[in-house]
Amino acid sequence: MRVVVCLKQVIDPLTPASTLALDQAEKKIKVGTSAPPVINGFDEQGLEAALRLRETIKDLEIVCVAAGERFNNEVMKRALAVGADQLILVQDPSLDTWDPYPIAQALAAAIKKIGGADLVLCGRQGSDWDNALTPYILAEALALPLLTLAKRVTINDGKTVEIERVLADGSMVMSAPLPAMVTVTSELGALRMPSVSARLQAARKQPKQMALAELGVEAPALRSPAVVALAIPVTGRSCTFIDADGPGAGARLAETLLDAGVIRLGGER
Amino acid sequence: MAGILLVAEVDAGELRPEFWELATLAKALSGAVPGGVSIALIGTKLDAAARAAAAFAVDALHLVEDPRLEHPWPEAHACALIQLCNQLAPQLVIAPRTVLGAEMAARLAVRARWQLLQDVTQIEATADGGLQYTRPVSGGAVSATLRAGAGPWVVVPRPRAFTPFEPGAAPASIAPTRHAFAPPPLATVCAAPQRVAVEGISIERAKTVVAGGGGLGGPEPFALLRQIAELVGGAVGASRVAVDSGWVQPAMQVGLTGKTIAPDVYIAVGISGAIQHLIGCSSSQVIVAVNSDASAPIFGIANYGLIGDWKEIMPAFRDALLARAG
Ligand SMILES: Cc1cc2nc3c(=O)[nH]c(=O)nc-3n(C[C@H](O)[C@H](O)[C@H](O)COP(=O)(O)OP(=O)(O)OC[C@H]3O[C@@H](n4cnc5c(N)ncnc54)[C@H](O)[C@@H]3O)c2cc1C
Ligand SMILES: Nc1ncnc2c1ncn2[C@@H]1O[C@H](COP(=O)(O)O)[C@@H](O)[C@H]1O
Repeated sequence: MRVVVCLKQVIDPLTPASTLALDQAEKKIKVGTSAPPVINGFDEQGLEAALRLRETIKDLEIVCVAAGERFNNEVMKRALAVGADQLILVQDPSLDTWDPYPIAQALAAAIKKIGGADLVLCGRQGSDWDNALTPYILAEALALPLLTLAKRVTINDGKTVEIERVLADGSMVMSAPLPAMVTVTSELGALRMPSVSARLQAARKQPKQMALAELGVEAPALRSPAVVALAIPVTGRSCTFIDADGPGAGARLAETLLDAGVIRLGGER
Repeated sequence: MAGILLVAEVDAGELRPEFWELATLAKALSGAVPGGVSIALIGTKLDAAARAAAAFAVDALHLVEDPRLEHPWPEAHACALIQLCNQLAPQLVIAPRTVLGAEMAARLAVRARWQLLQDVTQIEATADGGLQYTRPVSGGAVSATLRAGAGPWVVVPRPRAFTPFEPGAAPASIAPTRHAFAPPPLATVCAAPQRVAVEGISIERAKTVVAGGGGLGGPEPFALLRQIAELVGGAVGASRVAVDSGWVQPAMQVGLTGKTIAPDVYIAVGISGAIQHLIGCSSSQVIVAVNSDASAPIFGIANYGLIGDWKEIMPAFRDALLARAG
């Protein structure tokens, strides 16, 4: 059984806005400093879901696929270090875009090229543009049923994928026949740390490069909206600090807020 | 042919309140998108919600009612919406950014090959028949302005970006048009949801929210926050770290993938103030932050700050409230 995990390389989402650089000519978000990128957090969780599946299913192959303009190999190779069997990097200047359509077409072509997958795992959204759209386009391109927002993923009898979907006020069990696609959410849990032996093994493995041209990618069926401008919003407020220490500070804070009418005892619900 | 179609989400027989934000947006765009405004209600037990929604004077109410639409099953609900759109051929669909609504919007846009305008905070028609809109990206660190060409479009507004429309006193009486649900074979299967009751009032309704984060170190301190919330008539919220650690329910999460709230007061305890958290609470009237790290970004957006250990501060805070309450 083959599980494909889609990994997006993104700017570290904890990069302070003040160090982001906006390229107004190209209409792209870049980092001003040379801070390394990261694997999108939800995608790491997708990989963790795949690794957990392998603990219960024999001969489960994990192939990671990433589409982008340029990759930081050391960052992406973390996927191999934690146990992915293969890492495929589809690289092309045209993939440096906010638009999920060309990305999804490239991912679909790469997955078809390797002979398809029984299960494709994606993150719920990319932390770069928060689109949460690529998986829908990919599922359509691969004609796979799609289940989203999984905090648990299991495969029953090798035939059905079952997930627990996170809702605003609880959860819901859903399933689909394989082959299928699933997106995962952070409630699933963090990606494990690589073991020393796995890391050593991975050091010898290399990512496999695929050129877009050799994939025969279909042209996107749609023009997405075009970026007109980017800006860093100003959000600051001026903060009044409560000048006190220890438990006295807690009482001072309560008094300050009550006296300013910010909070009211037995206040309106 | 319908101009604008609003997706009114119904939860346990009740119209979800986001609807009134969508209504404001529909009003603003109705000049640019001719053909009238209609409402789609999809699910079961829709009548009360349909009556409530009709208080927004519209041209038509479309109901797709079927037992298979009882649960928030994304594929089924999206199929019903796609089927309606095939019949009504709207130029613009507006859907709420709820777990179900956002997914219906994405599935419709991808299937119909319509342009999807997500997380919209501002929008206007352009002279050439397109739409220009602004949305936060990168967790809110960046604001992007985009331009979509000619429709049809699917628009999903950012929660709380548009003031809810205030319906008039007398609800208009329109007879709803009922549509049979006739989906193609559905590939996914869904079981009944397990709902987790949240203690007290919901963070979306509360005027005061006391929220805890990774700095609390475990589930127990949330009991203290609950005592404080009860004293001031508020609700308890949380950051993603607290939710992912399993300390509290996801329903309490504030932020990008949690809820967007705008209470009168937001008290953040042991929350660093990552951009993805702030996007969910930055519209609060007043923000109060308690954090042991003076350089925590939360202080950059707070009106009142206290640098220190919550273990010392918050019990004394509660006791001071109790003392005042007498
Ligand atoms: C795409 C994406 C979506 C996300 N969505 C969300 C979301 O919806 N909501 C959300 O909250 N986050 C979200 N995040 C995560 C976000 O980036 C942060 O990781 C998270 O908000 C951090 O939570 P925290 O501040 O509670 O925890 P931490 O980062 O662990 O910070 C704990 C804070 O507590 C303080 N502290 C520690 N001990 C004490 C003490 N004794 N007394 C007082 N203060 C103390 C520390 O100084 C620190 O500031 C998202 C991230 C991504 C990439
Ligand atoms: N360039 C990419 N390469 C690999 N996977 C991607 C890429 N873009 C998006 N994805 C996958 O699609 C999910 C949603 O991304 P997005 O639609 O960009 O928010 C991500 O969590 C990834 O799993």
